[in-house]
Amino acid sequence: MKPLITGVGAVPVRRQLERSARDTATAVALQAIGDAGLEPGEIDGLFVTPPGLSGPPGFMWSCAFAHHLGLTTKAQALVECGGMTAALALRSALDAVTLGRSRAALVVALDARVVDVPENPEDVMGFVENAVVGLVGLYGPYDALFGVGAPIPYYAMCAQRYLFEHQATEEDLARVAVTLRANAVDNPLAEHRKPITVADVLASRPVSPPLKRLDCSTFSSGAAAVVVTAEPLSRRSKGPPVAVTGIGEHHVPAHFGDRRASWTRFESAESAARQAFSEAGRTPGDVDLAELYGVFTATELILYEDLGFFPKGEAARAVREGLTSGRGRTMMNPSGGRLSLGHPAGATPLYAAVEVVQQLRGACGPRQVAGAKVGLVHAEHGMLDGSFVAILEGA
Amino acid sequence: MKDLIDRKTWEAVRHYGGAATEEYYRRLKENRLCATRCDACGHVAFPPRDFCPKCWAKAVSWVDLPKTGTLFAFTTQERVLRFAAPEVIGLVEVEGAGRLFAHIDAPFESLRLGMEMELGFVEISAELTVPKFRPRTS
Ligand SMILES: [Zn+2]
Repeated sequence: MKPLITGVGAVPVRRQLERSARDTATAVALQAIGDAGLEPGEIDGLFVTPPGLSGPPGFMWSCAFAHHLGLTTKAQALVECGGMTAALALRSALDAVTLGRSRAALVVALDARVVDVPENPEDVMGFVENAVVGLVGLYGPYDALFGVGAPIPYYAMCAQRYLFEHQATEEDLARVAVTLRANAVDNPLAEHRKPITVADVLASRPVSPPLKRLDCSTFSSGAAAVVVTAEPLSRRSKGPPVAVTGIGEHHVPAHFGDRRASWTRFESAESAARQAFSEAGRTPGDVDLAELYGVFTATELILYEDLGFFPKGEAARAVREGLTSGRGRTMMNPSGGRLSLGHPAGATPLYAAVEVVQQLRGACGPRQVAGAKVGLVHAEHGMLDGSFVAILEGA
Repeated sequence: MKDLIDRKTWEAVRHYGGAATEEYYRRLKENRLCATRCDACGHVAFPPRDFCPKCWAKAVSWVDLPKTGTLFAFTTQERVLRFAAPEVIGLVEVEGAGRLFAHIDAPFESLRLGMEMELGFVEISAELTVPKFRPRTS
């Protein structure tokens, strides 16, 4: 069966969830089901992300959530693959509908990333214990011993190499952040909407050189949901249905940066894009808008190149000339992207899908990309150790 | 608190690592930085494995890595567990083994891409010693 995206839902990205994980997930789920023109009882597939990638365990969360919503399903799973998590939950739903295992599959992605050190001294020991074990599990028994607590240093070194190899400047990086912020001004879902200047970015606190505070996405919280249906249920959609016409996925055997390959050109992104474009019968020149998993300014530039929109080393010039923000063929991250929409990692790729679907439906108001027909969603994990690309088009 | 961190780190290293990881750290305790080389295809695996991740042959031998390398990239990190913040960390290209992620024992401002670096060691707990690099002096 041909799967179509017929319903979407999302809460605004904020530092912390306004309601509990369960109530937030329920709200976006019901929003997406309603948008698809369905009753909850018609949902027969459920694919969820953990209820917070860095929070308490998500063991059996798909079961608990299906119970809470009152869903009987024929296909159900909790999916996890780092930053690509929500993209693969979506792909699982598309696969289940394609295979005929589900006729109406619900995808719910949620993250609550802000984890504060407990105030009560009695709780600190337990917190440290969990953090130490969690970080060794995440970054591995080698890198973790240097105290890596976030992937920022890897991306900072990637940025340093990009500046070095392509004679780009910190101003070039800053301009990416400024451009994305301008896009977010008109997006009510975005966490950061106040316009910024190149001078603001350059003056922001150094985090890991050459990256400064405003070169980085924020640790955010949020949730989004998507409903994937097959005919005849697709006809009930309130907005025009959207088809996924091509998917590409590629993982290299590396974790947080291949230690023998380039750090400015990524096989996973190039290969995933090639596969997706080939399956869709499209080229980068056909894409009206793209929502990319660029969680740092330098990564944004690298993705513009690796996904095929600009030749290697030319993305900074493209940004400077406005070619990524309205004056060129493809509008990059009309939502504000990771830097300004905010980055609830476990849910980020689903926010990207929601933005692309809404743009293809022409439902984005003042930030609408005129005549949007073809959109692209990208997600990655580690330090571009794996990439996912999907091409979305009006059905 | 340091005792707790050290104990939990070692437990986690053993859980998420394995026999080859423990042997790697045992050798670091003797101030030897090692990798494994495949007896069949010659591929040097770092981090070390008890098989070859290139041709999947089972027989591998431990080899000492060169004590020098070149600086591929470096930065600092703010949130540090064991070193004074901001800690300088970097990737050092070591011939035959790819790039090693390690503590850099030098001020950030003194570093340049492509610099020659030399290997050193830092003891962080009774069980664990980790590699560090600093600009080559000789
Ligand atoms: Zn081999």
